[in-house]
Amino acid sequence: MKWGKRQSLIGYLFVLPNILGILVFFFIPTLFTIGISFTDWKYTANTYNFVGFSNYGRLFKDSMFYESLGNTFIFLLSVPVSIILAFMVALLLNKQVYLKNWIRAMYFLPYITSGVAVAFVWMLLFDAKNGPINQFLQTIGISNPPGWFSTTNTAMFAYDIIWIWLLLGYNMIIYLAALQEVPQELLEAAKIDGAKPHQTVIRIIFPLVSPTTFFLLLTGFVITVKAFGIIEAVTHGGPGTSSQVLSLYVYKMAFRYYEMGYASTISIILFIIIMLITFIQWVGQKKWVHY
Amino acid sequence: MNVRKIGSVALSLLIASSLIAGCGGNGGNTTSNNSTASGKNTDSNKKSDEVIHLKFWGGVPEEWGPVEAIENWNKENPDIQVEYVRFVNDDAGNVKLDTALMTGQDVDLYGTYNFARFQSRAQSGLSVDLSEFDDYNIDEKMGPNAADWKVDGKYYAMPTKRDLHFVWLNKDALDEVGLSVPYDWTWSDMQEYAKKLSGVKEWGIVQDLATWDFVLDSPIVEEGLVAADGTSNLDNQDTRKILETTYNMMYEDKSRPMYGEQMASKMRVEDEFLKGNAGMFYAGEWIFRFANNLKDYPRDFKIAIAPIPKVVADQPNHYVFGGLGDAIAINPKSKNVEAAWKFLKWYADGGMLPLAKGGRLPASSAVSTEESMKLLLDGVEDLYDMDSINKVMFGNDFKTFQNKLPQQIIDTRRNEFQLYFTNDQTLDQMMANVVKAHNEYLKQNK
Repeated sequence: MKWGKRQSLIGYLFVLPNILGILVFFFIPTLFTIGISFTDWKYTANTYNFVGFSNYGRLFKDSMFYESLGNTFIFLLSVPVSIILAFMVALLLNKQVYLKNWIRAMYFLPYITSGVAVAFVWMLLFDAKNGPINQFLQTIGISNPPGWFSTTNTAMFAYDIIWIWLLLGYNMIIYLAALQEVPQELLEAAKIDGAKPHQTVIRIIFPLVSPTTFFLLLTGFVITVKAFGIIEAVTHGGPGTSSQVLSLYVYKMAFRYYEMGYASTISIILFIIIMLITFIQWVGQKKWVHY
Repeated sequence: MNVRKIGSVALSLLIASSLIAGCGGNGGNTTSNNSTASGKNTDSNKKSDEVIHLKFWGGVPEEWGPVEAIENWNKENPDIQVEYVRFVNDDAGNVKLDTALMTGQDVDLYGTYNFARFQSRAQSGLSVDLSEFDDYNIDEKMGPNAADWKVDGKYYAMPTKRDLHFVWLNKDALDEVGLSVPYDWTWSDMQEYAKKLSGVKEWGIVQDLATWDFVLDSPIVEEGLVAADGTSNLDNQDTRKILETTYNMMYEDKSRPMYGEQMASKMRVEDEFLKGNAGMFYAGEWIFRFANNLKDYPRDFKIAIAPIPKVVADQPNHYVFGGLGDAIAINPKSKNVEAAWKFLKWYADGGMLPLAKGGRLPASSAVSTEESMKLLLDGVEDLYDMDSINKVMFGNDFKTFQNKLPQQIIDTRRNEFQLYFTNDQTLDQMMANVVKAHNEYLKQNK
């Protein structure tokens, strides 16, 4: 008993520096954010007042907040799509494919490239008038191709496409690793029992890699909710506010308008949304994730 | 079991050590920074006739003159050595500058390039009140337009350069379609010009999107942005006329690029104009640095310029965005305010001349316009229609203004007119939304 206590004490001592780091660089700033959200502090101002819940009241009446929230959800659509595509690519690459390693590296390349640089390349591709994508669409007979970043109802989906492509490589690598863990005996047994390839995938492989899918879904949502770099680089949230996501709204509020109080309020709400999504997935996973 | 234990112990050790190393590294850096900084200061205090070091933060890229200007100063003034620190004049760069100002890091002088931002800095006590010094009369030296930069009736910075929006014209294209260089003209005239020019060029007119932050305020300079009863004054007949004319140029005449497409492809409008793809170019004096750079922007056509048109003929409240810009302020936390002031006076009264090549003409009356124009157009005079340049830039024929609208409202208004230009809402809806947002802002910041 005593020995065990001592052991755990030593254990805590070892992780203490790490915990201190988390406290100083993560936990305390979070507490500060909560505190600031109840003030009207502007970044360069020397004074601030406590304003109670008035920032939260403002938030619920702020039409820009709801629009940004809606755009964030459109942006989140890219996560499941990217995961499904990554799963299919990983299945293909797991078989004997010509130039397998090269293709694998090719798919992974976007993930390790600078997001803003990638965004600029896509900006050229998506150019409404002279971009290769629209010129291709025109040659195959679509006379009125979408305006991508230049029109309000397509801008967010253009970002979805970029984001799917960016996440694909990472998701695929994780799936490839998971596929190595699928026992060959099960697949052979299924074959002997006469299962068709698609049945094998849906009934055997997919359930077996479901913890991976769950992990990718969870981390993918978190990464995506926080991402705004490529949007700020290309359209700054435009045309109008059609591509303004919540994280970009926070960034602008804080570092363009210096409204730290209100920006903190939005980020608290953003935090709660991420928590909720995670919680729902956590509860839902019991139905479809098999360990 | 044993192996696992050793493994986990090793892992925690690793994490712990890396963290400590990280902290140690940081701590070490800051202390060494501080010690060198304070070391310098005590040095200069001890031997007071020794060298004072100043840091001047500016947003102008080094190669466009500031470094050359400061080198000149450093040669003349061995006792006050200035170092130029360039920050990118965007949100991130300004956050960096504001943080440095508030925490009292090495900033002695700094430039601000838009009034709304400058106002909030001055009101937060981040700049020295220049009326403390009685050996330089800013109003006298810089002319009446300097008053645009006063905050609560006082100068907290010295505006140093001439600022002006105007329309660049491809003179050869004008000659081709038989149009004269305009001077007293209206937005409808400009629409006509663009329509005719689009017959010989890809675009009749292109416009620098940055100018849109200011175009729409011109008709309400006199009346004010806020009406007497404290509500928004942004909905104005003349403002609507500007928007409508622009819309028609896009959709009916097709003489200018669609706003959405221009924005989404980040069209380089100065390229389009200098390559000869556009007949006119709505921009300002900062284009000189591209137009004079024949190596990267080769051209053989002549350039003339015209003032920003009036909305209607005989418009009494016609104002053009311009006057003075590049406001240089002194950090109140600086240990060498006197030296900084000495440098600032020198800089404004001609020290900044090396920046003229890039279009930053000194505003001070201590510098002759001939001298700065010679620097500006050195070697390229033949490619300009000098009559129109002299008339527009030095005629002092029209009133100028600096934008006083807060950034938040500028941005909201931009979002709203983008939706008008992309056909997502009507002009009436746009104006209603702008006024609503402005009123809300006014209520919040009462």
